[in-house]
Amino acid sequence: MTTNTFENRHATRKRANGWRKARKRREWFDAYLLVAPALLMFLVFIIYPLISTVYLSLFDYGLTDPRIRFIGFGNFAELGQDAVFWRALRNNATILVVSVLVQVGLGVILAAMIDRGVRWGKSFYRTLNFAPVVMSAVAVGILWQLIYDPTVGLANHFVRAIGIHPPTQGWLGDPNIVIFAVLVVACWQYTGYVMVIVLAGMQSVSQELYEAAAIDGANEIQKFFSVTIPSIRNVIIAVILITMIGAVKVFDIVYILTRGGPANASQVMGTYIYYNAFTVNRAGYASAISVVLLAIALILGVMQLRLSSRPREDA
Amino acid sequence: MKLRPLQLLVYALLTLYSIAVALPIVWMFLSSTKTVRELFSFPFALPAQPQWGNFAKAWDSGISHYLVNSLFVTTVSVCLIVLFSALAAYALARLNFPGRVPIFLLLIAGFAIPVHTVLVPLYRSLNGMGLLNTYAGLIAPYVAFGIPFSVLLLYAFFLEFPPEIEDAARIDGCSTLPMVFKIVMPLSMPALVSVTVFQSVFLWNEFSLALIVIRDDALRTIPLGLTKFQGQWSTNWTLMLASLSMATLPVLLLYIVLQKQFIRSLVGFSK
Repeated sequence: MTTNTFENRHATRKRANGWRKARKRREWFDAYLLVAPALLMFLVFIIYPLISTVYLSLFDYGLTDPRIRFIGFGNFAELGQDAVFWRALRNNATILVVSVLVQVGLGVILAAMIDRGVRWGKSFYRTLNFAPVVMSAVAVGILWQLIYDPTVGLANHFVRAIGIHPPTQGWLGDPNIVIFAVLVVACWQYTGYVMVIVLAGMQSVSQELYEAAAIDGANEIQKFFSVTIPSIRNVIIAVILITMIGAVKVFDIVYILTRGGPANASQVMGTYIYYNAFTVNRAGYASAISVVLLAIALILGVMQLRLSSRPREDA
Repeated sequence: MKLRPLQLLVYALLTLYSIAVALPIVWMFLSSTKTVRELFSFPFALPAQPQWGNFAKAWDSGISHYLVNSLFVTTVSVCLIVLFSALAAYALARLNFPGRVPIFLLLIAGFAIPVHTVLVPLYRSLNGMGLLNTYAGLIAPYVAFGIPFSVLLLYAFFLEFPPEIEDAARIDGCSTLPMVFKIVMPLSMPALVSVTVFQSVFLWNEFSLALIVIRDDALRTIPLGLTKFQGQWSTNWTLMLASLSMATLPVLLLYIVLQKQFIRSLVGFSK
């Protein structure tokens, strides 16, 4: 009797285990089926090309060349000697520093003014200031090319009105000015982007904190530094990283405004990659620049992911 | 906040900045209705007679084709991005399977990869597959590059999806795939709309990939078409401005109508 019961139980458990295992397998199968399309596209059109880039950076090769020649780290050695590459890198750095200072600085101030400084028109100011963000960089670039034009553009009208003589070679023609002319456009387009994200962060700050600060006798400026900024610290770090990644990736606006000119004065890594690969047929060399760009972008990307996966401290 | 002068100052500063943001856009629309001669007078004077002909001419010179191309490429790409990303994000957030974490990390790491780092091999691959200079050659990389961001956003959404709904469906004998399509997806519309709006604006404006993939004038998307005019109409300003206006108007309208969804996806992205 007892053995019989035991065997029965054993069989039931075995059957239940088998059933559970089958269900689990079934769930695995479904999960892989759901993930497969996204993963496949990702592997074929991002990961495989990425590995190819690293591989191709070791070759002397052009897109129209029939053969490729292995040269080890030759492309990277050449990069070290290439004044244009260093110029491009320095331009990316300039864009990065100025973008963070202006876009994040101004974006935070504007957001604070909209959040705490005005009673009516909050959404009007937000909508208007964000509008340039949705425009294509190509349209923005061409528009600003016209604005910078010495004959009819707005830029000359404007500086003459405040008593400054516009640059004789044009805003985009002077090698010392061009990168800042590009930066004006980038800041015009993207400050609203930072503002909107920061504003959303500010609107979730608890009103009680402001009331407590008011009881302590804090004025609006003091509240900004003692309540607002500490409460949205993570949001500010996030927008700084997003802005930095944007500055490293920049391409469209520079390509449209200047093609990297005059005389490479506004070249950035993105445009220099394009120039080498598709204009002078040096795809191997372009791949080496891509590897440098990739390394920088991945470092910034990992920083951002670590930040976003961290539990948030603000409620 | 009770200090009236301070509030007035804030209003003044905000308005001043907003004017600076709006001026180039206003100038673009206003100038596109002028004659070339009027353009050389005061920049913000109204035209004597609005030149709607500028728009008609730009429309006939190719803008109409480019708009249709952009609409087609954007629509197909966004549908595929949303479908693939939603399915993957659901599995990653709600199902248990070996390799879940590595696959998730791999997919979202992709969003740090600048498209310019893969232009050369992508050009080679597309060439090898015979997809260079085709719609498919543009749509395929668009879908791939849209996935990381969309998966990240939808993953966060599905993590908070109420499990009671799934349990109820399972008790009714519904298996995973029908449940995902018939119950989970319809209930996830707000999140899917956010992703759709964001990706639509992004792809409508995409330029770098279009620049290397598309050669035929007949296949150009709007940003690529504008660069053709940039060379062609460097002296015919009013036509150029009319084209810019027509290229910009659809996204501006979409943004004004759906700005809540758009901003929600951006904010989710920065968390």
